[in-house]
Amino acid sequence: MNNWRRIDIDAYDEDVVHETDLYDPDPRDPATVANDAKQKATQVRSLISRGDIPAALAAVLTDAPYGSQFEDAKNVSLSAVLLILNSTKSTDIPGIVKGLSQDEQDTLMKYLYKGMASQGTEVNGSVLLGWHEKLTEVAGTGCIVRVMTDRRTV
Amino acid sequence: MILLESHSVIILNTLTEKFAKAGSIDVQFVDYDGVRFHLSTPQRKTLLLLSMSIRCWEELVQYGAMDVIKREYGSYFKPDAEPEYNVSLEFDLEAIPEDAEAREAIIKSASLLKRNVLGAPFELAFSTQKSLEASASPADGSTPAQGALMQIHYRDEEAIYIQASQDRVTVVFSTVFKDETDRIFGKVFLQEFVDARRQPSIQNAPQVLYSNKEPPLEIRSVPGLKNSDDVGYVTFVLFPRHFSNPDKAYATISRIQEFRDYLHYHIKCSKAYMHSRMRHRVTEFLKVLNRAKTEAPSGERKTVTGRSFSTR
Amino acid sequence: MSNSLRPYLAAVRSTLTAAMTLENFSSQVVERHNKPEVEARATPEALLNPLVISRNENERVLIEPSINSIRLSIKIKQADEIERILCHKFTRFMMMRAENFIILRRKPVSGYDISFLITNFHSETMLKHKLVDFIIQFMEEVDKEISEMKLSLNARARIVAESYLTTFD
Repeated sequence: MNNWRRIDIDAYDEDVVHETDLYDPDPRDPATVANDAKQKATQVRSLISRGDIPAALAAVLTDAPYGSQFEDAKNVSLSAVLLILNSTKSTDIPGIVKGLSQDEQDTLMKYLYKGMASQGTEVNGSVLLGWHEKLTEVAGTGCIVRVMTDRRTV
Repeated sequence: MILLESHSVIILNTLTEKFAKAGSIDVQFVDYDGVRFHLSTPQRKTLLLLSMSIRCWEELVQYGAMDVIKREYGSYFKPDAEPEYNVSLEFDLEAIPEDAEAREAIIKSASLLKRNVLGAPFELAFSTQKSLEASASPADGSTPAQGALMQIHYRDEEAIYIQASQDRVTVVFSTVFKDETDRIFGKVFLQEFVDARRQPSIQNAPQVLYSNKEPPLEIRSVPGLKNSDDVGYVTFVLFPRHFSNPDKAYATISRIQEFRDYLHYHIKCSKAYMHSRMRHRVTEFLKVLNRAKTEAPSGERKTVTGRSFSTR
Repeated sequence: MSNSLRPYLAAVRSTLTAAMTLENFSSQVVERHNKPEVEARATPEALLNPLVISRNENERVLIEPSINSIRLSIKIKQADEIERILCHKFTRFMMMRAENFIILRRKPVSGYDISFLITNFHSETMLKHKLVDFIIQFMEEVDKEISEMKLSLNARARIVAESYLTTFD
């Protein structure tokens, strides 16, 4: 008789905002994205061994996978980025960073924060912090604000 | 004041006062390790009765406390102690010597009542060790004889164990740290005790060993040992040079008795120091935070006709 | 070790400055209520992405921004038992006086040692860059204080042991 009291009224509310409404999801499906990420990772490795850091960075920062369905792809991309960051000489960092477009700088900042949050053994705190400092000098605090507000978490 | 004093300051001061000018008195006071004293003038103003109650009295008597008392206090010792107390001394102000030095000696000796009584087992251990040393070790190579293990349960959950051997006297303290913080501070302090011997200036000090939960070998066989994380065992190894002459033996006994109280006193002191540091640091932080506050716009705001705004 | 302290604090400073853009925002769930969105977590659109800045496993800062409030949690380096006890006592001491500290949270977020909650009302009455200065100075001072306390404890222990054992001679 009193069941109507126990209805979860919020579930029927049409105006409620869901997480997924906050950003445009990636149109590609998980498998293609995962393959894409792996291909990019191999490409990055070869570019690094040739010493071409800017190209490696550009490759991995364009079309970065984001969203909750692409966990594998995201992890692969993250390790690729970390590989690049670890193999760069600290003197080269400002130059490389200046050469990135604004979108790529934002994505790089996202990866920096994600790297610091993850607790793996390949993460080197001082390397990430060094990149963060140089990147903030070039891109400014606005870059960090964009990372905070952009729902497409990498 | 780093080292604790072995005499009872209250007894010292009160007796000095009373010896100088007789008056009636009835005070009860305490000392370390749960020892209670009662100083009163039950019958007449000039007859002072000093009684002490100590938890481990029977054990101390067993280890020769009565001999020590008779030796130190002779005629002042009252054969039947006051009810609820273990031992009584009586000072007849009309009968004590007039000489100021002699009076001081009596007062000093009275204030050391607890120390003397608690020192009895140690004296026994020292003499046992001397006799063991004197007697030759067995020719067949078996382990040399050892004195009996003396146990003194001077506090509720803590005890002192003394064992005399042929070439040393081993004293084991079992101590309880009720607080987690105490335990960790205690570990730091005791580690320093163990390591202090490395310094050249204190090469001659007794050897100190510390173990957290495991009782040392000497007392493994004792029944009723408390087995929990907050129990620690500290072992002192006293060598004959620490009690080679009576003065040294006296000093050693006084020091070693008060070890547990000394340790806990300093642990509490360092906790209090930490606390005052933290207070200071917090006020510093608040000062910095106050710099962040802006000045609220001061001064009254008025309309053109002269009426002022009021803030709700 | 201190070579990564400067970039660590610089990173915290820049991230905090970026996050400190707060504006008044009434609760969308309850009428006439104004709650710090980062604590209430009622509507996802008012919350922003949380960021972590870490120097190593044991030292990290979590910043959870939202439209009208920021929650900042710090994990302090605690190398051994003594430091753990000292850190715990110190943070507890401060959290009991959270009212005086205004921006301090009474309970730390789980996994961290101490937390701050800064709302738009705080940033309206206090200067933002000074608040950031305060946090950075706090982080430096806490580490310094804990190592100083540990040193004083060790020094005291040494003196105590020495004075006791020299009397046996």
